[in-house]
Amino acid sequence: MLRLAAALALAGAAHAADTRTRITLEAGVVRARPAAAEATLELFVDGPADLPPILGGVVREGDALVFAPRFPFQPGMAYRAVYREPGQAPLVEVVQLAAATAAAAAEATLERIHPSADVLPENLLKLYLHFSAPMSRGEAYRRIRLLDEAGNPVELPFLEIDQELWDRDGRRLTLLFDPGRIKRELVPNEEVGSPLRAGRAYTLVVDRGWPDAHGRPLAREGRKRFRVGPPDHAPPRTRDWRVVPPRAGTRDALVVTFPEPLDRALLERVIEVLDRSGAALDGEVAIGGRETRWSFTPGAPWRAGRHILRSATILEDMAGNSLGRPFEVDVFERVEDRVLDVSESLYFEIE
Amino acid sequence: MIRENPGIKEANVTALTLLVALAAAGAATADQGLKPGKASLTSAGPLAFGPAGILFVGDSAGATIWAIDTGDKTAGSGSINVSGLQDKVAAMLGTTPDQVAVNDVIVNPVSRKAYLSVSRGRGPDAAPVILRLDASGKLEELRLDDVKHAKVSLANAPAADAKDRRGNSLRSEAITDLHYVDGQVFIAGLSNEEFASKLRSVPFPFASADGGTSVEIYHGAHGQWETRSPVRTFVPYEIQKESHLLAAYTCTPLVKFPVKDLKPGSKLVGTTIAELGNRNRPLDMIVYKKDGAEFLLMSNSSRGVMKMSTKGIEGQEAIKQPVEGTKGLPYETIADWKGVEQLDKLDDGNALLLTRAESGALDLKTVPLP
Repeated sequence: MLRLAAALALAGAAHAADTRTRITLEAGVVRARPAAAEATLELFVDGPADLPPILGGVVREGDALVFAPRFPFQPGMAYRAVYREPGQAPLVEVVQLAAATAAAAAEATLERIHPSADVLPENLLKLYLHFSAPMSRGEAYRRIRLLDEAGNPVELPFLEIDQELWDRDGRRLTLLFDPGRIKRELVPNEEVGSPLRAGRAYTLVVDRGWPDAHGRPLAREGRKRFRVGPPDHAPPRTRDWRVVPPRAGTRDALVVTFPEPLDRALLERVIEVLDRSGAALDGEVAIGGRETRWSFTPGAPWRAGRHILRSATILEDMAGNSLGRPFEVDVFERVEDRVLDVSESLYFEIE
Repeated sequence: MIRENPGIKEANVTALTLLVALAAAGAATADQGLKPGKASLTSAGPLAFGPAGILFVGDSAGATIWAIDTGDKTAGSGSINVSGLQDKVAAMLGTTPDQVAVNDVIVNPVSRKAYLSVSRGRGPDAAPVILRLDASGKLEELRLDDVKHAKVSLANAPAADAKDRRGNSLRSEAITDLHYVDGQVFIAGLSNEEFASKLRSVPFPFASADGGTSVEIYHGAHGQWETRSPVRTFVPYEIQKESHLLAAYTCTPLVKFPVKDLKPGSKLVGTTIAELGNRNRPLDMIVYKKDGAEFLLMSNSSRGVMKMSTKGIEGQEAIKQPVEGTKGLPYETIADWKGVEQLDKLDDGNALLLTRAESGALDLKTVPLP
């Protein structure tokens, strides 16, 4: 697995190997042996002379000095070991780990984009990009382009923040449209308007060159074409949901449908089913109908009686309007008088 | 069969009242509640200095704020200049420059050393590293294996995680900025799911398992639309001896609000004192004094660095009308400060800038405050 780079410095002196210091890279550490009592050992990335040494610790093991890097040596990268002994010219050795075999895992792909609908509101707030494997950070805003019908890129449509909104596994990116351009009467909205215009079509393009967490490009470019409808300023309301209860004794799914697509990520997380005692039921959630359908298959058969479907009010539609609260609120409603609930409940009977 | 029952709406106890602030932490103990051991950061993002050389580190991936005793309490001085910072950091970490990200740079106000939060690697398993350097330009690592530290988890903070019963949440929260003011750490965060403005305050020394209070902050943009927009960067600022925060939102307005009004259960409407116009992505802010006057500097993705006199902030009338271009506090652009990604006050006369050249090269530079 590990192998030494050519040990040029020692090539002509093989017969004296027993007395000359040799530098080897083995099992993740660099060893200089034999090493004089006063000797030092430093490691550098092989490159310009003004680069600082690699972080790491040096310990003496018998007649050897052993350098353990703070972070593992990177396969395929050349490192320069410098061994110094008082009164002697430094011994310099370039060492490296074999490059990782290219076979490894398959290339990453962009698996899906939410919302999955083909028509999105002019004031669309966010997109979720799901990848098949963990991706590199720090690339998103130059790897994603929004093209208009003529194929021209829309200028600065997204909120670009250094932190990039990834999930912990680095497989889902949340892409927010610039809220300053979406919200009415803010300067950016007044000056350049919403990034999306009703009646037009756009294509989101994800560059193939976007490296995954291991630095490999995507298997192919990702694209989503969509049309834009009018802006949506109305918050979703639970009273508009259609709940179809299953029959008692079955494990059939409870199906809830919405008049408009809701936020995919929140749908998976913020709706739950409780029995009449208020205990949450275990089961599997599935999202379908392009985020207009939520279904719940219980772990145990349904029991007859009243049940509760409860949703956190942070549930949003595609334009960031949440249950009972539009994305933009008219301040004249007097903010402090409005009740802010954490959840809303619908009741249904299992028969 | 199906009916809505609006009468059963549950009051928002989680977000607004459950996390009532524990009484402001009592007199700080000598060790500030810090205990020796390994500080196992998952990531290192925004940084802030607190009292006595204590460094706060925002760990978004770990949903944690760390307080770390740097032991760096000796007064120092001198300018800090490092060219090719990214190459040098990469070399120290044994990797290539493209595998290194410098996430934040701040100055220890006592020692005048610069502290950098860095990621080694670009994927989700990137390693967090804290580096520091002084006027000699020598970079060193702040080792975290055995260091006095304390932490507070943000995971039990309000909102959404409570619902994650099925364990399939992909939710995380990016910490966009943090600052220490008068015994409290203020943390601005942005969720990767629900769109909301969250600003938390956590008393320091940290009380155990206190996720802090959470307040939703609104800015009345032009008095007509109340919007929810995350705070991107903010800076503590005193107006008539009262602590305020000046916050720049992701959608351009600059807002002020008094720290004393940040109470759980309250809804806070910040006062918009300037709207900075289109294509403005505020990156970082500092407040400083020069020739008896006080100024705010804001680095910005498109306008370079903007300098504003704070003179008018106290009385600055809230912006109530729709505006064209920019409005509120007048500003000037510091033309020769280009590509500034981070800035901090190095000392009374100088700023420390992290700049990115068009070639992509990162430099740390000391320049006189304008």
